Amino acid sequence: VVSEVVVSILEDDAAELQLYADESYTLVVPATDGGKIELSAPTQWGIMRGLETLSQLVLFDFDANAYTVDNSPWNIEDAPRFPHRQLMIDTARHYEPLSVIRQVIDACTFAKVNTIHWHLVDDQSFPFDSPSHPELAAKGAFSKYERYTDADVASIVEYARKRGVRVMVEVDTPGHASSWCAGAPEICPSSSCLSPLNPATNATFDLMADLFHDLTGGEKRLGLFPETLMHLGGDEVDTSCWGETPEIQAWMDDNGFTEDDAYLYYFNRVTEIAIAQGREVVGWDEIWENFGTSLDPTTIVAAWRTWAINSTDVTSKGYRMLYCPDSAWYLDSLDTTWEARYAEEPATGVAEEDEHLVLGGGGQMWGETADPSDVLPTIWPGMAAIAERLWSPRDVTDTVEAAPRLAGFRCLMESRGVPFAPITNLISRSAPSGPGSCTAQRRRHV
Amino acid sequence: LTLTVDLCRGLPYASAVSTTMAPTALALLLLAPLSAAAAEGYWWTYPHADCGYCDVTDEYRDMGYNVSTLQDLCATTDGCYGFNTNGILKSSDCGVSCTIASESSCDLWVLRDTPQPTSPPVWPMPASYSSGDATVTLSTKLTWSGDVDSDDVADAISRYQDLMFPHAVSDSSAAAAEEDTVVVSEVVVSILEDDAAELQLYADESYTLVVPATDGGKIELSAPTQWGIMRGLETLSQLVLFDFDANAYTVDNSPWNIEDAPRFPHRQLMIDTARHYEPLSVIRQVIDACTFAKVNTIHWHLVDDQSFPFDSPSHPELAAKGAFSKYERYTDADVASIVEYARKRGVRVMVEVDTPGHASSWCAGAPEICPSSSCLSPLNPATNATFDLMADLFHDLTGGEKRLGLFPETLMHLGGDEVDTSCWGETPEIQAWMDDNGFTEDDAYLYYFNRVTEIAIAQGREVVGWDEIWENFGTSLDPTTIVAAWRTWAINSTDVTSKGYRMLYCPDSAWYLDSLDTTWEARYAEEPATGVAEEDEHLVLGGGGQMWGETADPSDVLPTIWPGMAAIAERLWSPRDVTDTVEAAPRLAGFRCLMESRGVPFAPITNLISRSAPSGPGSCTAQRRRHV
Repeated sequence: VVSEVVVSILEDDAAELQLYADESYTLVVPATDGGKIELSAPTQWGIMRGLETLSQLVLFDFDANAYTVDNSPWNIEDAPRFPHRQLMIDTARHYEPLSVIRQVIDACTFAKVNTIHWHLVDDQSFPFDSPSHPELAAKGAFSKYERYTDADVASIVEYARKRGVRVMVEVDTPGHASSWCAGAPEICPSSSCLSPLNPATNATFDLMADLFHDLTGGEKRLGLFPETLMHLGGDEVDTSCWGETPEIQAWMDDNGFTEDDAYLYYFNRVTEIAIAQGREVVGWDEIWENFGTSLDPTTIVAAWRTWAINSTDVTSKGYRMLYCPDSAWYLDSLDTTWEARYAEEPATGVAEEDEHLVLGGGGQMWGETADPSDVLPTIWPGMAAIAERLWSPRDVTDTVEAAPRLAGFRCLMESRGVPFAPITNLISRSAPSGPGSCTAQRRRHV
Repeated sequence: LTLTVDLCRGLPYASAVSTTMAPTALALLLLAPLSAAAAEGYWWTYPHADCGYCDVTDEYRDMGYNVSTLQDLCATTDGCYGFNTNGILKSSDCGVSCTIASESSCDLWVLRDTPQPTSPPVWPMPASYSSGDATVTLSTKLTWSGDVDSDDVADAISRYQDLMFPHAVSDSSAAAAEEDTVVVSEVVVSILEDDAAELQLYADESYTLVVPATDGGKIELSAPTQWGIMRGLETLSQLVLFDFDANAYTVDNSPWNIEDAPRFPHRQLMIDTARHYEPLSVIRQVIDACTFAKVNTIHWHLVDDQSFPFDSPSHPELAAKGAFSKYERYTDADVASIVEYARKRGVRVMVEVDTPGHASSWCAGAPEICPSSSCLSPLNPATNATFDLMADLFHDLTGGEKRLGLFPETLMHLGGDEVDTSCWGETPEIQAWMDDNGFTEDDAYLYYFNRVTEIAIAQGREVVGWDEIWENFGTSLDPTTIVAAWRTWAINSTDVTSKGYRMLYCPDSAWYLDSLDTTWEARYAEEPATGVAEEDEHLVLGGGGQMWGETADPSDVLPTIWPGMAAIAERLWSPRDVTDTVEAAPRLAGFRCLMESRGVPFAPITNLISRSAPSGPGSCTAQRRRHV
């Protein structure tokens, strides 16, 4: 019988929760009667990861009516391979209530996912009640009741922090922003051509500076999102609206800009605002494709079009990147199996000495068909495969070894109340095919 | 895909605009035809709702919320019986191919031939109420007073305090919001008769709720029992909305005077932990969600052919060998914790031990009670081993006396359904026993059911059985037996009740939640007392939804239960004449938003196939009729 756990924080029990925070830990479960479980880590975040591991070793033996740890003694030395292991949530295509976001965060910690990438706003809705620009949500939210106050956002960020989960906000512009026009028509090209946002007026950048200030507090480590990384989107920018709007075309002519030049000008200006507020900027990979090394060197490239973006190229130029491949790690890609997600390798093509520039990446839960009724079983099991890829050593790739362990993880998640879809259905979030154990993971066609 | 403009938000967006209606869906959407007399009708409004009305034209009109202009325009437009505040004119009838071009976050206005009731934003609809037109601000520093000595009520208030105030409000903004508004900051709670009333069938759940419209007034919630207080807290919590612009919690349409009580005493959700194991955390989520719809009973279909997850203290071999795995079991302490969790919330838990059929999982642990190793089920009626084990197992569940045991609930469900007795005739020992006793197979089935009934009655229980027992045995059943009618096409409710037997209404398909192609309207249209004489209506105890678990596990059980169970819950709680789906639809959409805000996975309401994904981006109220 073991009846004591000794917990030791070796370096800093108030370590800041930021990228590169130390999450390593050592866990020892003895096999001697009266022995003590020892959990130690350099920081409190490592302790949290170790607690998760310990909790997964404990099983309830119904016949003995006792909790047991099989295969003791255990000596576990653990640390993540990548520092940034994210799940992106999308609260613009469907509103996700606070209670649902808390459920999402809880489930992430069970898989040692350490970052929520909050895709806060998009074309469809603007749910954030900006203190400086309340008209954005008042007019841009789906309804009167599908909004987040600043205090709501702060409560979610703190809820996540307590669990060792960073929250990186994304404010996606200049495209994917037509919901802004309801509250702030002055920053949109025209009432018939809403997006991308108007780069030709300072009104756009003034509003952006105000809104960023709401989010960042204007300085590093402050604000609703103390997280240093801030995602500015920059994807899928169809600039034709600019050319079709006489005022913007005139402004481009005056400056000798092509539409692409205007796009770079726009992105550089919002990047400067974010940097001035103590943030490091993340952008979708179109910014790399279009601007390459003319981007600020602290910029982090979120690679989603991994067929178009050359990781070797990004990292060999010294830029950092996140690996978020379309389909493979898009959780709304319903016909992607967990094995396919598991087979992805974020550092493919990256020179060994540049591997540290691949910060990690993660799963993207785009919300077009995911709302509170189905978001969790759409995230799981896909996110579990991604989480192991991002945490575990590079050579942990054997799906035959992983499959029964993943089935066990499903049972664990279910026992914690997480809706975790059957693992081997060929279409994500489809119902179990028939009666059976939580481990019954028969391959099934739709 | 067509680009349309939503003037509510002033945004163009692409949306699916053409919906081909199946005839059945179409029928549900048809309103009573409004002829030329419509001009004398009444305008009804549905906030943030689009009830599936077809567009007259797909043109939008840039009129914002100028309602009277749109009313005039509609009056002079052929075929127009409504509009939404996108400016899109609406028809009252739907063609085979119906165009719906607007997003539903706008208000819908519809011309009808009766005045609009002041609908409370409450699901299920209260028995009676009156309301006003004042908006009251509720202080987040709500004081709860009253002479109530009940930990259960104190815990309930604490839960509802969290449910009512989900958004953080800073003190300063709350103070600002309270200036120049009517503020209510106290709730007086009174239990009039018994603050420790037993939770059993017929427990009094009635309550009275008054929300004043005067500054400094007090909300008054009173009820005969603590269970009525809990129902009233739920109603109060549904009246409270968070106004983001004012940064304050408000109650619209105050003052409210609500006198409420359920129509039926037994309003159940059946869960099935034999086809898939449902962990304790999931069962707790299921119970929580039930209380939000005033569902007051969990019918726990504990074991079946596929698995035996209950760790019986007297017969541990049943679960040790009959569960799906080593880890998919319930200890007796687990069961007790669930029953207590439910009790604290005013939810009874009725256990079902389904025999002699649906019991082949028992044979792994107790082969001696099964006909043979090749013919497992129904259980062997010819040996006392069967009844001895049954008595032991029942004792584990009941404690041997009324009000005791893991399930203090008086009602105990003994199944008795789908018994194919051919196994008995094919087993020589059983055939010989039947011959000795002069039994047909049907006689043996009655003998079996009577014996297990006697055991349950001896342990202080009243027996519920599926309706095959009525079909087979009728009035030879013990008169306290309750018939759970699922084959409502075969079982005559008039007959059951006129003979003085009590019944539960659990119709196959209509109230089977795994019947995925049953719409909420079809569930809502069921009437439990159909064909029952008025003086016998009290014998219809209620009924409920059945969540058979073949394709429902923790990953999908909640969105399979909801929204179907919501329709059933209102049928069982609200007065018999609350049947208007047009009135109910936007209120149900609001209830969906509420449930989602409380973290309950509640599937889109109007999808024609249950638990299918939302069709595209949109509000929680966006309930566009959709094919799969």
